[in-house]
Amino acid sequence: MRQLWEFFTFELKFRFKSLSTYVYFFIWIAFSFLSVASESFGPIGNSNGKVLLNGPYANTYNDVGAAIFGIIIIAAIFGTSILRDFQRDTYQVLFTQPISKFAYLGGRWAGSFVTTVFAFSGMMLGTYLGTFAPWADHTRIGPNHLWTYLQPFLSILVVQIFFIGSIFFVVSALSRKIFIVYLQGAALFVIYLIGITVFFTTRSLERFWSGIFDPIGIILMDDVARYWTVVERNSLLVTWSPALAHGVFLYNRLLWMGVGVLSLVILWALFPMSVEALTGRVQSRRAAKAKEQEVAEAAPVQSLVAAHLPRVHQTFNSSTTWAQYISLCRLRMRNIFRDIPFWGIVALLIAFNVNNGYFAGHLAEQNVWPVTYLMVQAVEGSALLFLYIVAALYAAELLWRERDANFNGIHDALPMRESTDWLSRLTAIVVVEIALLAVAMFMGMFMQTILGYHHYEVVEYLKELYLVTFPQVFGFVLLALFVQTMVSNKFVGHGIVIGLVVMIPILFNFGWENTLYLVGNVPQYTYSDMNGYGHFVPAIFWANTYWLAIMAVLGVVSIALARRGADDSLRARARQAARLAPRLAPFAILFAIVAFGAGGWYYYNAHVLNEYLDSKARRDIQADYERKFKQYENLLQPKVTAVDATINIYPERRSFDGSVRMTLQNKTSQPISQIHITDTKQSVSNLKFDRPFHPVNSAPRDLYSIYALEQPLAPGETVNLTCNVGHETRGFRDGNELPEFAYNGTFFDSDYIPYIGYRTDFEIDDPRRRREEKLPPLEEMAHRGDPVHSVNNIFPREADWVTYHTIVSTSSDQMAIAPGYLQRQWEANGRKYFEYSMGSTHILEFFSYISARYQSKRELYHGPDGDVSLEVYYHPTHTYDVDDMLASSRAGLDYYQRVYSPYQFSQYRIFEFPRYRSFAQSFANTIPYSENIGFIERVVKPTDIDFTYFATAHELAHQWWAHQLIGADVEGSNMMAESLAEYSALQVMAHKYGRDLMHRYLRHELDAYLRGRAGEVRHEPPLALVQREQYVWYQKGGQVLYTLADYIGEDKFNLALHNFLMRYRYANANNQVDASDGIRAAAAIDGAYPDTRMLVEAIREQTPPELQYMVDDAFNRIILYDNKAISATSQKTPDGKFKVTLDVQARKMQSDGNGAETPVPLADYIEIGVFSGKRDEERPLYLKKEKFTEDHKTFEIMVDQEPTLAGIDPYNKLIDRNGDDNMIEVTRK
Amino acid sequence: MALTITGLSKTYSNGVKALKNLSLSIGNGMFGLVGPNGAGKSSLMRTIATLQDPDSGSVSLDGIDVLRQKDEVRRILGYLPQEFGVYPKISALDMLHHLAVMKGMTNLGERKGSVDALLQQTNLWEVRKKALTTFSGGMKQRFGIAQALLGNPRLIIVDEPTAGLDPTERNRFLNLLSSLGSDRTVILSTHIVDDVRQLCPRMAIIASGELLLEGSPAETLAALKGKIWSKVVATDDQAQALEKQLQVISTHLVGGEHEVRAFANASPGEGFSAVECDLEDVYFLTLARHGSSHMVN
Repeated sequence: MRQLWEFFTFELKFRFKSLSTYVYFFIWIAFSFLSVASESFGPIGNSNGKVLLNGPYANTYNDVGAAIFGIIIIAAIFGTSILRDFQRDTYQVLFTQPISKFAYLGGRWAGSFVTTVFAFSGMMLGTYLGTFAPWADHTRIGPNHLWTYLQPFLSILVVQIFFIGSIFFVVSALSRKIFIVYLQGAALFVIYLIGITVFFTTRSLERFWSGIFDPIGIILMDDVARYWTVVERNSLLVTWSPALAHGVFLYNRLLWMGVGVLSLVILWALFPMSVEALTGRVQSRRAAKAKEQEVAEAAPVQSLVAAHLPRVHQTFNSSTTWAQYISLCRLRMRNIFRDIPFWGIVALLIAFNVNNGYFAGHLAEQNVWPVTYLMVQAVEGSALLFLYIVAALYAAELLWRERDANFNGIHDALPMRESTDWLSRLTAIVVVEIALLAVAMFMGMFMQTILGYHHYEVVEYLKELYLVTFPQVFGFVLLALFVQTMVSNKFVGHGIVIGLVVMIPILFNFGWENTLYLVGNVPQYTYSDMNGYGHFVPAIFWANTYWLAIMAVLGVVSIALARRGADDSLRARARQAARLAPRLAPFAILFAIVAFGAGGWYYYNAHVLNEYLDSKARRDIQADYERKFKQYENLLQPKVTAVDATINIYPERRSFDGSVRMTLQNKTSQPISQIHITDTKQSVSNLKFDRPFHPVNSAPRDLYSIYALEQPLAPGETVNLTCNVGHETRGFRDGNELPEFAYNGTFFDSDYIPYIGYRTDFEIDDPRRRREEKLPPLEEMAHRGDPVHSVNNIFPREADWVTYHTIVSTSSDQMAIAPGYLQRQWEANGRKYFEYSMGSTHILEFFSYISARYQSKRELYHGPDGDVSLEVYYHPTHTYDVDDMLASSRAGLDYYQRVYSPYQFSQYRIFEFPRYRSFAQSFANTIPYSENIGFIERVVKPTDIDFTYFATAHELAHQWWAHQLIGADVEGSNMMAESLAEYSALQVMAHKYGRDLMHRYLRHELDAYLRGRAGEVRHEPPLALVQREQYVWYQKGGQVLYTLADYIGEDKFNLALHNFLMRYRYANANNQVDASDGIRAAAAIDGAYPDTRMLVEAIREQTPPELQYMVDDAFNRIILYDNKAISATSQKTPDGKFKVTLDVQARKMQSDGNGAETPVPLADYIEIGVFSGKRDEERPLYLKKEKFTEDHKTFEIMVDQEPTLAGIDPYNKLIDRNGDDNMIEVTRK
Repeated sequence: MALTITGLSKTYSNGVKALKNLSLSIGNGMFGLVGPNGAGKSSLMRTIATLQDPDSGSVSLDGIDVLRQKDEVRRILGYLPQEFGVYPKISALDMLHHLAVMKGMTNLGERKGSVDALLQQTNLWEVRKKALTTFSGGMKQRFGIAQALLGNPRLIIVDEPTAGLDPTERNRFLNLLSSLGSDRTVILSTHIVDDVRQLCPRMAIIASGELLLEGSPAETLAALKGKIWSKVVATDDQAQALEKQLQVISTHLVGGEHEVRAFANASPGEGFSAVECDLEDVYFLTLARHGSSHMVN
């Protein structure tokens, strides 16, 4: 025991004398301090703006983060503890002493453990200090409670240190080789990354084993706390309770502590305490070597008489230099290629490629074709880490190779130039990088083959990997070589290099976004099949050239300062640099000129031709707009009633120009003397009214202008507004390229034409950013029935309905589209012109202008209310889902026309646009649809979710829910567009794929809703009061309405929607002056638009009394169930049937907007079911809605076949945070 | 071929004065450089081998300014450092070919002939395909000399080449060195005086960075002829007593008794007999004189 203490205290003394221990401690202080003191740092600060930065969730989450990146520190402390004796050969002395194994291993281990725990305790100190930072966001800092710090530290970090540390300790003690320790660390890291990728790309709903087997904690945390609301995140600790998430956390901790203990036991059993045994393998190898040498020595001695060596010629000219260079390159490449860790890296790279390649583009149970851009992204993304590791690692290894091998005496005296030597090192690394990129490319195509995709686009691979990415890697290699040249210790060099890499995204987050100073950075770009690299090419090229040239200058400096000879003091190297200067300076100057040129050109484009705005500056503009003009929000303004636009698109210049004429009518009862215009895109000019007016005020950037009419606009009166519109793309920007404009695939909308009045949707909605801008909390939407807001519709407020006519032109190889029926098409001046008109049909004031080179497929749909032309316009290679889209359109038209109302148009057109934006959007009879959400989908397995079918039906449903019925500009109205479209699409999908399969889809919708509410930054509203919460109007809305229809009957529910639609559609459409043939009321005053009260009422009318509570739950409350199957047994009866005894639990909670729950007494109908067959392929034998009035209930059910599963609410129709415990296996008695 | 070293001084950053205004002239043939550890031999040799710049002084080799025209020197240089390691996982043959290319032997046939001959000469032919890291100390040293001889260098610098070699290997190695012919300059540093006697027509003794003696072994031996006396005494006290009285060059323990060798123009006393002087006596005497002169200073 005394020995143990001695070893322990010795280890501690050693560690606490060493600077590194304090460096580690400081790293964690800095990490956690910044996580609290800066919201731009760390995952918690960046995410939900209501989660306390020093609360229990934040502390736990940050500790998990420290557990990931801390692996390297744990390895550095535990891994070197035993190794030290072997590196310094002290083991020879040590193991001849009478020391006990327990004392030696135990002391070293305990010393390492205490040291590591000390180092990581910096996490707690840093967080604590962070809460006092005066500049921190103190609305997000709660009172400091010791246990809130200590509990996560103990249950996350101390356990991690214990078991990961023990594993490192054991591996290093048993292998006694540092590179095995490194390799093990790297392998652990990469394998974990693979697991994470699989888990998150498949959006696995497996919540139990995935959490238990997670050795680090990311999945574990997700499993435990994914649905935690803000209140829970700020009050609950992740405890070791078996009740918490089925005990996942408890079992996880026990499992991994067990692994830690087990590894120590293994070490205890296997570690030999004798010099012979410890060096046994080495010795036997040494013996073999000695024997070999003896044989060699014994070989016949050559005669020394003929000692004259053959005459040789030495030539020194440029071809010699070349030969030297080649020979050195071969030598250095051999260094790498014969290095075992290198092949370890390659093996990990391949494994990572295979995994990420397999999941290229996968999302949940949605399957997509692994098109080249997805595959390149997958393999490149997984390769990048390795490319940087190889660069950093081998820059150091090769640069220090001669010194490490002690060969520098010979090497440095060779008649070669410093540049030859240095270039050979560079070349070797670069060749290896090129080879690794080739591996990634090969693996990409291999995985495409495996996945059955045979359209190989080698050129796309080459472009991305070798033209875009390789220069960045090359620059990084040069940088790493430079750093290693300058520092005197290669580990310090590694630290600096890694630090530089890690700093860049952090700096970016902090708002340092300028490519010209973010070392090695290239602005964001996106490859699109439609547009290739398109307009990103110049920015990528110049950024790469700029940084590569700077790195090349550093390269020249590295040559000049290369270590050569015995004296590597900076003075000696400076002398060498002076000697080499005449030859090297021209290169340095040349590269510097290139750097200046490229940087200058980049600066000219990004900062002179274009206004450079980082994200903070862009938010400042928004905040300024709100501060100055919010006062005008409710100012009475005329409404747009008719629009006539001429738009000329110049795709090759990414520009457009044109003119717009808008008819404005005063639909209020007051005269209007001022017209206010918002122009967020700075696209409006030369604005005029066709009656006397004068400009009153104009804001910078033309954001907001006020015009006074000399003669106020009387109620019912109209005025015409004309203006020019346009956008001119000049040069390139530093990222933030406008996605609307592309060489192929232009798509912009009415944001580019003047907007009447103040736009609330231009306000900043992130509470974090609002606090930063010193803005008050975002204003809530008006209550239903608000007299001011009810006369406006929710989107866009500046108009009720409009008639619309446009002429769009584009270049001769493209087609230009806008909503409306094509009237005419012609060519003039080498351009194509298209005239579209909506005639007298009213549409929302919301237009899209599209131009691209398309292939198209059309068909005529013969419906009960006339023919509809169905058209899909797509990129020629994206043929996969065109028929699916047409099928969905047909099915949707069938269903919606049958249950809602006739379709108001005679065409329905889908247009593909580049994947710079990922959505599909419903304009009148015109659906721009992003290339990456519906055009590459693939349905192979029957369980694959046909998302294209769903999304197409959703967008089609908007032609009713939005384009026929639009709600008032008050809370709740958004759901009448989005939730009803979602519901409609779910029904169309259910009719095709069956109700059982819908369950699979809805599970993911439920998951997304519960995650969404966990990330709520303001407060979660009930469905009928939804404001901006997408997870409520999409995921919750779809699920809740689908369930409601299930409970009260699809037909009845649809009848309710039909009645509602027919009563309220086209509100305020026919009281205005526009181009329609309808009533031209001279004095028309807008009435109220419908809101969710009317919808709820319409549904109530069709709902039987016993289910009225469900309507309330669905619309007016946030209701969560916790249903659970407790036990299920079956007994075969004499008549061959089965009697199932099912014990279930039902609980119901109501949540407030912050997530605080209160129990609600049950009086609910909940489905009970018994199934046969395997889980996920189960078939119902019995399904019935039973009324529950108490928590527990036992059922006895007779079924005809042998049951396998039974449960409560088995299809997850109700919202349940633990949806996966609703069904249970039936055990046979 | 003549190497002229003039006024070379070097002080390391830790304050050690490795070379103190050292001047020396070295002609063709083997030149032995002897001195105790830390005498500055390696510093001197590294300076000549272009690996280190002095603080002052100059080195010139047949008109080449060694300190400035490093590349010219490196082309005719063969250098074997005192200690060197090897790259892992590479064979002697491959490594010699690489070094031969580096030394400007671009003609493959010639290079092959030369490398093969050297492998034969150094008796490494049988193991030429084995990884260098598996070599024993002697084999590695022979590889070292093989690489130093690549390309028929006119200036060969070998630093302590026989350290750590067993007698057979040492012998073989010295034979190889002496067979190199007299048309080039070979500088051999060693602290084993015998090596020099066997091989070097000329030699120098340096200590503490200063030149103590320069000449041919024969000349220096002649100068001491009849002035070295030996006596065997039984006890330590007696030996120490003699040390106080006489200029004792060295004492050796032989069979439990001390053989004391002293320098004197005439027999220093009873029991002393005149002995044949050897180079070691020269060496010790020079060092002893240097040491005492230091004490005086």
